[in-house]
Formats: sequence, structure tokens, C-alpha cells
Amino acid sequence: MIQLRRNSLLSALWVSLLIAMPVVATADVEGRWILSLQDKNRTLVGLLEIDKGEGGWIAHLEGGPASVTTDGDNIVIVADSRDVRGFVFDRRMTGIVDGDTMKGTYAQVGAAAQKEAPGPWSAKREIAESAALARPMPFDLTGTWTATQELDFRKYTMSLTDAGEAWLEGYLPYYDQPDVRCTSIGLPALATYSFPFEVISTDNRLTMIYEYQSRVRRIWLDERAPGEFVPPSRMGHSNGRWEGSTLVIETTNLDKTVRDFRGELISENAVIEERYALSDDGNTLTAVITVQDPEYYSRPPVRRRQWVRNDAADIFPYTCDPDSFYLKMYEDGELDMYLDRTDKRF
Amino acid sequence: MMRPSKPYAAWVLKLTALAICLVAAHANAHHSFTAEFVADKTATLSGTISQVWFKNPHVRYLIVVANADGGEETWDARGSPVVWLARKGWTKDTIKVGDQVEMYGYLGRDGIKMLSIMTITLADGTVLVDKAPE
Repeated sequence: MIQLRRNSLLSALWVSLLIAMPVVATADVEGRWILSLQDKNRTLVGLLEIDKGEGGWIAHLEGGPASVTTDGDNIVIVADSRDVRGFVFDRRMTGIVDGDTMKGTYAQVGAAAQKEAPGPWSAKREIAESAALARPMPFDLTGTWTATQELDFRKYTMSLTDAGEAWLEGYLPYYDQPDVRCTSIGLPALATYSFPFEVISTDNRLTMIYEYQSRVRRIWLDERAPGEFVPPSRMGHSNGRWEGSTLVIETTNLDKTVRDFRGELISENAVIEERYALSDDGNTLTAVITVQDPEYYSRPPVRRRQWVRNDAADIFPYTCDPDSFYLKMYEDGELDMYLDRTDKRF
Repeated sequence: MMRPSKPYAAWVLKLTALAICLVAAHANAHHSFTAEFVADKTATLSGTISQVWFKNPHVRYLIVVANADGGEETWDARGSPVVWLARKGWTKDTIKVGDQVEMYGYLGRDGIKMLSIMTITLADGTVLVDKAPE
């Protein structure tokens, strides 16, 4: 009798253990990860956010949708990108999750001008910083900065609101991007382009002179508001502050225009945050650029850029003439089509 | 002369496809949007430069090449912004109207006669590389 009861107790224990433990435990990858990927001699860095969804993981890389699937400790991450010639492709990362790290190998999928050799990738859980409380420790940005190789994932699709998606449907970058007709591309795109810029520091401001389109912007360090009659513009109104040794620039008073190469909108209420940090040797400057604009984005898009100090570099003049752009459309009989889409241009 | 970058047989197929696309593009001209290039279609064009726009936002050369019918056709070749090329010593005088050159690059979508320049070989053998900024 006692023996029998013990057996049934043991059986019940086994059954409950079996119910509690799935056949293959799936790694818990929910959270924020700093993803890095090695392509030959350059390292791409991005923020990977993973949430639990009803049918699986819901993932975003740099604010744009990505795919994450897990099977036991195995993980597959797929994210799209656009290379410098405008070709769109995927990066497929496969690997293993081990607690707070994951790593594996990746490959480029689809044709691209910028060929990437298969290489390693890894991710670590993001460590939250409390830089906002740190006392200001400014560094001197004076000088000329030339872009290093791209370290941005150049995420192609972003998480857009319905209004953001609706705008993109009829957008044709070749005809509608402002810079094809020599009009300012503005921020945030300008801060991510691979052309040099020069910084002049004076008492309460930084002046940035960008080679691309010969644009100038002022970053006020005295918390001033835009002047009463200053209209919104593509460079907006920028205020800078120091959080520890990070220069944080917040830009408002922006024109409604496009954010980047794909032509997603930014509204007049957009706020652009740029965070600039300098390497210990003072020679490498890194920026993380985030757009807060809930009107068109359901998640803030993120871009990154890095430069090295190169005071010997010249800022070349940028003389722009859209003549051949219009002439080509005239020759191809496309001018009527171009005029019909005036509402797609800023 | 338009020379394939891939084996001959594959190119014949592509030319056929190109011809079909050209017909389709012509029939549908209002909807054929130019200046989009295809990442997996490259070609080499040998010919004579007939026009030069060495200006931002993009450098543009027109090049006249012999076609398969014994005639000539003009292709529109696009390069990087001037500031990018000038920094490497590639200026408005590097390639002039009348120069014989060989261009290699990505083909335009839908068989449009456009090329996104990767390299240009000058008559003296100099190879200019237009590697878009990363």
C-alpha cells in the first residue's frame, strides 16, 4: 500500500516535470542588444530590439523591422539594407544564443554593388547608461573630419505609421529626392553622408560646414530658442549640451521633408537627436542619430556615422547644376510626368 | 561596341531579354522610370564621348557606341558627385568630348540605355575607378 502510493507519487512528479519542461527550451532573447558584424576590415554596429509577439519574436534593427527566429539555442536574424549605389539586399545572421551574448556567422543575400564576404557577428545585451546625470566634460571638436568606412547597417525599411507608408507608395527617389535638383537634403541625411565637414568653435556655438551641398549649421550651446521670425528649415534649430563627454545635439524647427535615401517623410514636429562621442586618443568621432517623429514613424529610425580628425583635408566647393537632370527628362518625354508629381517634392 | 561581361551564350539571352524589355518600355513609356540600375547586370561600353557634364550632383557622360545592326546608339553614363571624383584628381578635363574610352558599370533597369559607372579605361590605358563613397 505504501509502496504503491510512493510509485504513484513518483509518476505524478515525472508527469509534472515533463509538462514544466518543453522538449527543447527556446532561448529567451527578449530585450535590447548591441549587434556588431564584421565585414572584412570594418565593423557594423546597430541596436537590435526583440519583443515577444503572439506568433514569435518581433524584432527591430535601428528602428526598422527585422526577422528573428529561434530554435532551442539557435537563432536566425535577417535584416535588409541599401548599399551606396542604391541596391537593396539582406544580411542573414545565423548563430547561437548563450545567456547575454549571441554570436555566429552572416552572409549577404541578394545582389549588391558593395560585396560583403561572409563573416562573424555577435550581440551583447545593451547596458543602460545614465549619462544624463554626468557632469559636463566637453571635448574640442575644432577641425576637419573625414568619414571612415560605413559602420551603419544602413537599414532600408523603417517602421512607419500608416501615414508614413501611404506617402512612400508613390515616391520615386530618382525624381523626388531634393538633392537631385540641387535643393538641400538637410538633416538628418546630411549628418550621415560620407563627405567631410569642418567645425569652428566659438564661445556659445559650434559652426559646422558640410562639404556636401556646401551647407552650414550652427549648434547653440546656450540653450537659446529660435528667433521669433526664423522660419523652419532643413537644417532646423540646433541646441547642444554635454552629457559627460557626449555632445548631445537636439534639432527642432525643421521643414517637412524627406529623411533619407528612400524618401520617408519627417514632419515639422520632428526632433532629431545626435550624440557625438570622441575616442580616447581624440582622433575618432562617432555619432548616433535618432529621429523622434511619431507622426510618420512607429519607432524612431537610427543612423550612425564615424569620422577621423584630418585637419589637412580641404572642404571642396560644391557647385551644383541640375541642367542634365531636367534635360534627360526632356529627352525622354518625362517632363509632364515630373510636373504632375509636384506634390511629391519639397 | 557593347561587350558582355558574362559568357557569350548568357549574353545572347540577355540581349533578347533586353530587346523585349525595350519594346515593353516603349509601349509603356510614361511608366518606365529611368536611372534605376540593376545590381546583377553589368556591361562594358567602348565608344566615343559625345557630351560631358562634370557637375554636381552627378557627373554625366554621353557615349556613342556601335550596335549590333551596324548603327550607333548613345548611352547615358552616370558617375559620382564631382566633389568625390575631384578629390582623387578626376577633373572636368580628364575625359573630353571625342575621347575614346571603355566604360564598365551597372546597366539601367528595363533595358534603358544607362550605365552606372564603376570604371573608365582611357585610350592610354589609365583606369579610373568610380567607387561610390561608403
